Amino acid sequence: MVNKRLKLNRTIFIVMLLAIWEITAHSHIFPELLFPSLESILSALIHELEKGTIVLQTYNSIEMILEGMIIGDILAIIISVWAMISRRINEYVTTLVSIMDPLPGIALLPLAILWFGTGRNSIIFIIIHSVLWPMILNTVTGFKTIPKIYLEVGSNIGLKKIKIITNIMIPSALPSLLTGLQVGWSRAWRALISAEMIFGATGKESGLGWYIFEKRFMLDMPGVFAGLFIIVAIGFIVETVLFEIIEESTIKKWGMTN
Amino acid sequence: MNRWLIFLVIFMLIFSLTGCSTSTSGNNTDANQNITIRIATQYGLQYAPAQIMEKKQLIEKYLPGAKIEWQTFPSGGAINEALAANRIDFAFMGPPPFLISWDKGVKIKLVSSVQGGPNGIVTYRQDIKSIMDLKDDDKIAMPGIGSTQHIFLQMESDKLLNDPHAMDDKILSMSHPDAMNALLNRQVAAHFASAPYYFEELSNPAMHEVLTGREAFGGEFTHIFMVATEEFHNNNPMAYAAVYHALVDAVAIINEQPENAAKILAPIYNLSEEKTLKYITWKEVNYSSTPYGLLKMAEFMKKAGYIKKIPERISDIAFENIIAQMGKKNGEQTEIEKLQY
Repeated sequence: MVNKRLKLNRTIFIVMLLAIWEITAHSHIFPELLFPSLESILSALIHELEKGTIVLQTYNSIEMILEGMIIGDILAIIISVWAMISRRINEYVTTLVSIMDPLPGIALLPLAILWFGTGRNSIIFIIIHSVLWPMILNTVTGFKTIPKIYLEVGSNIGLKKIKIITNIMIPSALPSLLTGLQVGWSRAWRALISAEMIFGATGKESGLGWYIFEKRFMLDMPGVFAGLFIIVAIGFIVETVLFEIIEESTIKKWGMTN
Repeated sequence: MNRWLIFLVIFMLIFSLTGCSTSTSGNNTDANQNITIRIATQYGLQYAPAQIMEKKQLIEKYLPGAKIEWQTFPSGGAINEALAANRIDFAFMGPPPFLISWDKGVKIKLVSSVQGGPNGIVTYRQDIKSIMDLKDDDKIAMPGIGSTQHIFLQMESDKLLNDPHAMDDKILSMSHPDAMNALLNRQVAAHFASAPYYFEELSNPAMHEVLTGREAFGGEFTHIFMVATEEFHNNNPMAYAAVYHALVDAVAIINEQPENAAKILAPIYNLSEEKTLKYITWKEVNYSSTPYGLLKMAEFMKKAGYIKKIPERISDIAFENIIAQMGKKNGEQTEIEKLQY
């Protein structure tokens, strides 16, 4: 029941936001060119989908984000486990995170170009940077809050180190890991879009950031918002469907949330 | 429900507040004394007249007491948004962003030409003699889709391959300084550069030029224009005249006293005075208030799908001073009109 009411509330909220947008657009407080109405955004979206390039660009974006996230998250877990082994390494990792985490990936773009050239690899490097540090932060926190008794029970019944990590540490730290994933997911999108708006490749390799950059240059605001809409829609689906399912089937089922 | 209401009110407030912030359209009766003129420029030696106008306070000479706000924008695209939002009155920009804006119905027109070329594609690769020599994964760095450089590349590609978009896959969008670094580090095959990066790169013996803008365009072109909103032009004739004449003064200073101009520009571009002087007097550099190749650019942009309509007459896209400059001959075109095709 509660869940249903929450969902209804959310829908009402979104409809209200859209209504405010529409009223503002039709009141012409702002130049129509820069603040398009919902129907012109929708028709731009349909037009772009029919043309098809935006589908490929969305696919490219998601692929780059997944690639960056998988590498970044695996690295983060390895580093975090490593940091649990010794206090000194833990110290180094925490220092590194506090130095690197606030750095926007875009500021590293000159280095990325130097090391990886001007293409896909540089963008993936920046995505990894934006995913890695929040993930380490959350994973380490998750590991630290595991009750000592769990680990002791594990070693008492004779589990190997690797089993303790996969069967005790990771499941116990799952709520924090999921938070890290969620933060990483949204940061990865920001990194991708801004990197592509600074140096974008046209043609088959390009993603949604380039699409938005291009539409912006053409002063095609409905087109820009159509691109933003796709990003919002993907984000919304992943947040409310994918993460929900994972949470339902793990931490909620195991009674780890309140 | 109360919470929703509060939310709604806050939202409305935010939206309406941004709507009623400063929009200075000036006051005719006020003798232009308290007027604020907002001018957008960009970074690069093509925009040198703007910087001379600012540093020598040339507008203030004609309009004492006027407040001039100079803003530097990163690209013509950003300037277009500011023009459409009526946040600036004058702007220095290339022909393609201007024509895109005009085509979309933003009420702006040309005030004057500012500078014509040169620019060109520079590479370190000995094997590249023409754009046809670029291999599949070779990239040309340039400021982005719809930039003057991009249009020139499309013109060349239209000539050689009969398809304006055949080379679009080769473009890597970057700002000029980033692109120059990438070229010097051999990370892109080529850079479609403009001043001062174009001159810096060509001064390097390892680099050579593949294609000049002039070759691609097939004649003289204006690289940078000054534009103004119709609203400002109609409401503030004195201020319009002052800005236009200040620009003319600045162009004259660069052409007549280049040493003097170099002294002003050198610190802005972090170059030595000798280098600056060399760059603003480089072969084919032309600071001029006369437009070139205007309608040819429009026709190609329509062909390549950037704009839907072509200006029928020059008054569709330019203010009276350009119309007067063009002249009118009965039965034939004037020499200046011929330069537009």
